[in-house]
Amino acid sequence: MSRKLLETDGLEWVQKGIVTEAQRAQLLALYPEERPAIGLLPLLGSLLILLSALSLVAANWQSLPEAVRLGLLLGSLAGTYAGAEYFLRRQYESLGMGLVGLGLLLFGISIILTSQMYQLIGYDLTGLVAWAVAGVALTWVYRSRFLFILTVAIGGIVQGYNTGQLGAFSYLTAVLTAGGLGYYWWRRPDSLLGAVLATGLLWQTALLVSHLHIKITWFFVPGMLIYTLGDWQEQRPAGRALQGPPLVAAFLFTLGLALFGESDDYTGELRPPLLAYVGVLGAVLALSLWGKQRRGRLGSATDWLLLLPGFYLPGGLPLAVATLVVLYAYSGAVLWRAHQERNQDRVTLGTVLFILTTAVAYFKLTWGFMDKSLFFLLGGSLLLGLSWFLRRRAAHTFSAPETPGQP
Amino acid sequence: MSTPLPSAPDNNVAATRHPPLPKPHRQRWLLWLVGAQLLFVLAVAAAGYATGRFGSVVVLRTRPVDPRALRFNDYLELHYTISLLPGHLWKGSTLPRRKDPVYVVLQPRPGAFEAVAVYPERPDVEPGQTVLRGWVADTWRRSMRLRYGLERYYVPEETRRKLRRQQPLQVQVSVAPWGQARISQVEVLPAERAMP
Repeated sequence: MSRKLLETDGLEWVQKGIVTEAQRAQLLALYPEERPAIGLLPLLGSLLILLSALSLVAANWQSLPEAVRLGLLLGSLAGTYAGAEYFLRRQYESLGMGLVGLGLLLFGISIILTSQMYQLIGYDLTGLVAWAVAGVALTWVYRSRFLFILTVAIGGIVQGYNTGQLGAFSYLTAVLTAGGLGYYWWRRPDSLLGAVLATGLLWQTALLVSHLHIKITWFFVPGMLIYTLGDWQEQRPAGRALQGPPLVAAFLFTLGLALFGESDDYTGELRPPLLAYVGVLGAVLALSLWGKQRRGRLGSATDWLLLLPGFYLPGGLPLAVATLVVLYAYSGAVLWRAHQERNQDRVTLGTVLFILTTAVAYFKLTWGFMDKSLFFLLGGSLLLGLSWFLRRRAAHTFSAPETPGQP
Repeated sequence: MSTPLPSAPDNNVAATRHPPLPKPHRQRWLLWLVGAQLLFVLAVAAAGYATGRFGSVVVLRTRPVDPRALRFNDYLELHYTISLLPGHLWKGSTLPRRKDPVYVVLQPRPGAFEAVAVYPERPDVEPGQTVLRGWVADTWRRSMRLRYGLERYYVPEETRRKLRRQQPLQVQVSVAPWGQARISQVEVLPAERAMP
């Protein structure tokens, strides 16, 4: 709730006898008044002057003596942090945090420009790792969501640069982002941060898999470890948000398997050594189920359907059909649970997944031998009919009176 | 069987407010952090300076570089004559593999240094020789391509003006006693003196 709402509607609530005047005052005290933002014009003015200084320096950067360049970098770095603290102390929260973020970016820029000055680029990874470390540390000091997201992005960029340009993967950066930010999220569960963190970590996992030239299915071992962390998280919505990106990846992968699984060349590329892969993934599954059981969420175990290693079966139409069955089972389970929980958002999600699966199944099973105009006509009618039925089902669930004892 | 842990209700997550660090704490941590960041940037500069000041100098030649690449980037990709080496220089017991670190022994010759041997471990060398660390980028039956981390050169304005066509470069590399190497000076060689 915002202070603005309390201020505008609060008096009406008092008049209607919903809260007393004293309670309204107590509520207002919960949301202290923010200092008014600094005027837009002074802010824009200072920004323009800053830009002019920046372009002057950038144009003459190469001709400046090394000591001056270094001094400029260190000075602006220290100055930005000092400015941030100055504004934070005067309760200008947004401006202050923005400056902290700018300071963090300047730290990275300083490392890169100093390395360039001495032609040190490309020699080792320490410089860029330090950038990610600074991001994690600042996130902890300021407890800021903005810095958290910035640090996830920095971790992803650093890792992308390492693998792309330097041909090396920095395990330290991966461990630091996963450990430092993961623990932060664990202590302060948050939906948005969960989704952002999971996406960032999956990105680094993908880079690692491509860097090591191993079978892409190994991606799902760290991916499902991230998912499992969500199972152990006490806050259900935050845990769900962390599990979203790994599930999206697994769903897309299974969809791809249904589409291309017929060719043995493709499935051949997916098969890691059977015992090792199934053993490791089985261990993650056990950990995940244990977490689900401890938190009383065993119903969501159907998510693991997507991880069935169907690609070990010989390729061909039977594999594609088996994969489609798995996809139907998964999206059906999502829909069923959503109706059970009477959760509107998840009903929508389940509907989309169900329709997507049907589209793929239809395409897969009929494209080869059906007349194209008939194909589209029947496909369109099938989708329209399905969406009408699912909507009706959803409307039925949400219009029915809630029975006691339902979650 | 363990009992289920209580699950937090779904709707009060957004309301969970986490107090920031107490102000004196925060300021002390921030002071440390900013100090560490400044020191780190200084350390990068010091490492670069010290490598140039105390390192032994190796002169390398590159294959001709194309100045047109500078239209898109402010750096050049350098291919040294020691980037591609014949396989018989390899002194290891097993064949080199991609991404393995290697140590290249460089011997001064008229004009530039030449690679005389490649080891999997840091070798002891004769006076006058220098060891440069590299990584295996690719291997073929009779040759291997190495990467030294010196392949990217940020071109200063002055050098940029001298580069008119495809010309080879003579690159001075400083190798610090602790193994770090960096480009310390670059000269543009006339095109006709290009390596055969």
